[in-house]
Amino acid sequence: MKIKDLPDDNLFTAGHTACPGCGVAMSIRNAIRILGKDTVVYVPASCAVVFGTTFPFGAWKVPFFHTAFENTGACLTGMKAAFEMKGKKVTAVGFAGDGGTYDIGLQSMSGAAERNDDVLYICLDNEAYMNTGIQRSGGTPFGAWTTTTPVGKKVQGNRRFKKNLADIVAAHEIPYYATLSIGHPLDFIKKVEKAMTFKGFRFLHMFTPCIPGWKMDPAKTVEVTKLAVESGMWTLYEIENGEKKITYKPGKMKRVRDYLMMQGRFRHMSDDDIKTLQMWVCKKWNLHYKEKGAPEVCEIAPPEEHHAVTEEHREMHGP
Amino acid sequence: MKKVITGDHAVAIGAKLSRAEVVPAYPITPQTLIIEHIADFVNDGEMDAKFLTMESEHSVMSAATAASAAGARVFTATSSQGLAFMHEMLYATAPLRLPIVMVNANRTLGGPPGIWCEHNDSMGARDSGWLQVYVEDNQEALDMVIQSYRIAEDKRVLLPVMPCIDGFVLTHTVEPVDVPQQQDVDSFLPPYMPDITLDPAKPALFNTLMLPEYIMELRRQTAGAFESAKKVISEINDEFAKKFGRDYGGMIDTYRMEDAEVALITIGTVTSTSREVVDELRKEGEKVGIVKLRFFRPFPAEDLKRVLSGVGAIGVFDRSISYHGGGHVFNEVCSALYGITKPIINHLAGIGGRDVTKEVIIKMFDLTLKAAKGEKVKEINWHNTRGETV
Amino acid sequence: MFEVRFHGRGGQGAVMAAQTLAEAAVIEGNYAVAFPFFGAERRGAPVLAFTRIDAKKIYSKTQVYAPDCVVVLDDSLLDTIDVVAGLKPQGTVVINSKEKPEDIDLGKEIRTASVNATSVALEILKAPITNTAILGSFAKATGIIKIESLEEAIKSRFGEKLGEKVGERNALAARTAYENTVIGKSRGIKKLEPRKQWLPTYQEMPVGGVLVEGITEAGLIGPGSFIENKVYGWATFRPVRDREKCTMCLLCWFYCPEGTIVRISDKGDLMTNYDYCKGCGVCANECPVDAIKMVRARV
Repeated sequence: MKIKDLPDDNLFTAGHTACPGCGVAMSIRNAIRILGKDTVVYVPASCAVVFGTTFPFGAWKVPFFHTAFENTGACLTGMKAAFEMKGKKVTAVGFAGDGGTYDIGLQSMSGAAERNDDVLYICLDNEAYMNTGIQRSGGTPFGAWTTTTPVGKKVQGNRRFKKNLADIVAAHEIPYYATLSIGHPLDFIKKVEKAMTFKGFRFLHMFTPCIPGWKMDPAKTVEVTKLAVESGMWTLYEIENGEKKITYKPGKMKRVRDYLMMQGRFRHMSDDDIKTLQMWVCKKWNLHYKEKGAPEVCEIAPPEEHHAVTEEHREMHGP
Repeated sequence: MKKVITGDHAVAIGAKLSRAEVVPAYPITPQTLIIEHIADFVNDGEMDAKFLTMESEHSVMSAATAASAAGARVFTATSSQGLAFMHEMLYATAPLRLPIVMVNANRTLGGPPGIWCEHNDSMGARDSGWLQVYVEDNQEALDMVIQSYRIAEDKRVLLPVMPCIDGFVLTHTVEPVDVPQQQDVDSFLPPYMPDITLDPAKPALFNTLMLPEYIMELRRQTAGAFESAKKVISEINDEFAKKFGRDYGGMIDTYRMEDAEVALITIGTVTSTSREVVDELRKEGEKVGIVKLRFFRPFPAEDLKRVLSGVGAIGVFDRSISYHGGGHVFNEVCSALYGITKPIINHLAGIGGRDVTKEVIIKMFDLTLKAAKGEKVKEINWHNTRGETV
Repeated sequence: MFEVRFHGRGGQGAVMAAQTLAEAAVIEGNYAVAFPFFGAERRGAPVLAFTRIDAKKIYSKTQVYAPDCVVVLDDSLLDTIDVVAGLKPQGTVVINSKEKPEDIDLGKEIRTASVNATSVALEILKAPITNTAILGSFAKATGIIKIESLEEAIKSRFGEKLGEKVGERNALAARTAYENTVIGKSRGIKKLEPRKQWLPTYQEMPVGGVLVEGITEAGLIGPGSFIENKVYGWATFRPVRDREKCTMCLLCWFYCPEGTIVRISDKGDLMTNYDYCKGCGVCANECPVDAIKMVRARV
C-alpha cells in the first residue's frame, strides 16, 4: 500500500488521551489501520493502556485485552490457541513497550518466539519506562537522562548502551523481524503488511519518540525519528527467515550530536560522552552497513578517561 | 468403568471428559503427572485441545486468561511455588469473570524447600477471587473437575475455580476411580458459550483502566458472584448426584454428625482418615462427628452454623499456618461462628507433609471433647511437633 | 483551615504550585499539606491539585470539596470545567487570564483576581510555565501568605531541583504577578452544563467490566467511544492549511497522532477536525511545501 491507499477508518479513534505529538499513538494508529479489523490486540501495562482505554471509554475499535506488564508473549499465545480451536482467522497482535519487552517481558516474549507461535509482537520502543514517569530501561541509550539515571555530581545519565534486542529476538530463528520508523512511512507500511504474510512469530520493532520523556518539542516527533535513522542511532532493516536485508541506508551519515541536541534528555552530555556514543554508533554502522561511517563523523580521537562534569559545565548546560 | 489410577491421572481424565480446549502447562512436582497425561491425550488424539508448553507459571495463567477471554474452555494445573508465581495473574482472572479451572496440587511453599503436602500454597491465594474446593480422594478429584466447570461457567457465577488436591497423598496414590462415560459428562456439561469474547465480529474491551468512580462497583459485583455461587454449588452437586450417583453434600459434607457432641472440621485428605477414627471412637462410646469443609471460597458460614448448632465444642484441623497464631480454616470458622459461645479448638498438623496419623486425629478429638466438658484446653495446638505440648 | 484547589493541565506544574504554597505556609510557622489527584490523562489534560493550610496539624486525608480559594492556571479550562464548584461564597478565584475579572464569566459573581501569568512567564522564564507567577497572584488576592515567604519557598523548591538561577527567576515571576494582579468580581452569566458521566450501579455494571459498543445517557461507551472526548482544550496552537499550496501528499494525514485530519470530497481534500487537535504541530513541521501554519488556538 501507498499512503493514499491506507484506509480512512480510525481503528484507534481520536479523543484518546496520549500527549500531543506522541510517537506511540502515531505508530499504533497507523499499524492498526494496516492490520485491519480482523485483529485482536493485547496491550501490557503501559501508556497505551491508559491513553487508549479509560472505563467506560476506549479508542480501540478492535477487541482489546490487558492484564499485566510482563506477559505479552504468553497472552498472545493463549488467545491465538483459542482462535485456532474455534477456527477463527484472527491476527493476535501485542503492543508492548520497551520495558515490557527488553526487561520484565523478555521471558514471555522469548517463550512465544521460541515456540514460534503464530502471533505478531510489536515493540513500541521509547527507550525508558515512560508510563511511570521516565525511568531507565534496558532500551535506554548511553548518556540519556532518566529519573533513575539522573545527571548527578558523580554520574551523568545512563552509563550502558542500548541493549541489542534485535539479535536476541533474531536468535530465536523466527520468520520475520523488522525495525520501523514512523518517519519513513512507505517502509513502515510495507513492513507491517509483510509481517502479516508470515505464519509464526513475527516481531516489529518500532522507534517511538516520547515528548515528555525525551524532553522535546512535540512538533519534532517525526523529525527526530528521521535524524535517528540518518545518524545511525536507529537502523532500518528486516530479517526474513534468517536473512538480513537493509531496507534503507542514509545517504550521508549525520553526526549523533545533531540528534542529541534536539532532546533535553541528552543536552547535559559532555563532549567525551558524546564522543563515546558516536564511536559506538560508528561501530554499529560499520557492522550493519558493512562499511565505515563517514570519516568526518567517525574518525575522531577516542575520549579521554571519563571524569566528572565540572561545576562550570553544569552552570553552562544546566542539570 | 473402574480404573486404578493416581489422583493426577484422575484429574487429567476429568479435564479430558470436560472437553477443555486450551491447556497451557508448566511442570511442577507433584502436579507433573497431570500435564503429562494431558500431553499424551492430546498427542494421541484422545483429546481435542491445544496443549501449550509455556515457559513459566506466570505465562501459564496469562495464556489461560487470554484463551478464556477469547472464548475457549481452559484447564491447567499447578502447585506451590508455581501458584505463587502466578499470583498476580490470579487476581486478573477473577474480576474479568473468566471461568478457568485450575487444579492445585497442595504442596509446601518454600522456604524451606519441600515438595510434600501442605495447604499454605492455596491458602495464600484465598482472596484472589478464585473459588476453592478441597477434596479427599481421587474420585472426588475427578468429579470436581467436571463439576467445577459447571459452577464456573454458570451465568450467576462466572468465576474461576481451583480444585485443591493433597500433594502425594492423592496425586501419587492409586486407588479405584469410577470414570464417567463421555456422553454422560457431555449431557451434564454443555459446551462453554460465553456472551462476549475477544471477537472482531463484536469488538469488546477487556480490562480497561478504571478510575475510582468504577472499581468499587466492580468489586461489589464480583463479591456478589461469590454469594450466588453458594446456591449454584448446591444445585450442581444435587444434579451431579442424580446423574452419577455420587453426592458430595455441596459446600460441606458431614459424617456421623446426627447426635454428635463434638465435631472436628476437616479439610483435604485428613477427612478420609478421620472417618475411620470417628467409627473407632464411636465404638468406644464417644459421640463425635466430622464436618468436611469442601469449599473454602465461598466460605460456607451458614452451613457451618446449621450443622454445628448442637455440638458442645468444635475442633478445627488446619494444614497451614497464618502466622497470627492459628491456621486459615480456624480463622474463618471463628469469624463465621462469631457470637456463638462454645469452645473452638485449633489443631495444626500435617504441615510440611508430616503424616497425619490416626493417633494425631484421636488426640484432636480428645482435646475437643475435654473442651466440651468445660476443661481448660489451649486454643491453638501444634500436634506432633517437638517442643510443643498438647 | 484554608483550603485551595488548583486547576491546571498536565505539564503546567499545578502540583508543584500546590507543594510550593504548602512550603511557604510552613515557612510562616503553619502546618500545610499538598497533594495531587492522580487522574489517567497525560500532558495537556486537565489535572487537579490541592493545598490545605492550618495553624495546627492537619489530619484530614480527603480531597478538597469546599475550597476557600480556587487557582486556575489555564483559562481554557473554563470552557469545560466548572472551576467554582463547591467554592465557599466568600471565597476567591485566582485566574491566569488577560481579561479583567469583570470580563471573566465564571457562571457566578464571585471575588476574582486575574493576572496575565502567561505573559509574565514568557517574559521572565522564557517559557509559558505559569505555576510560580500564579502563586504571586494568589498571595496578593488572599493575603493568606506573604509574598516574601512565597519567594523563599520558590527559591528553595525550584532552586533545589533546577538550579539557583531558575529558582530566582521563578521568584521574580511570582513577585511580578503579585504586583500586576487585578482584583474584582467575575461575571455570572453562563450556565456550564457539567459533563454527563455514566455511573452505573454494581448491578448495571457490565459483567467483569467488559465493554461492548453501547450508548448511555452520557453518550457512547466501549470500543471507539473515546470519540466522546473532545480534546481541543489541550491545544495552545492549531494548524491552518493553505489549500492552494497543499499537494495532497497526505503526510500530515499519516503522521497526525490523533487521526483528526480526515479526507473529504471523495478523498480529494483534507479537513482538520479541531475537536480532536491537541496542537502538537507535527503536521506543520512535516509539511514538505510549508502549507501548514500553526496559529494560536484561542485569541
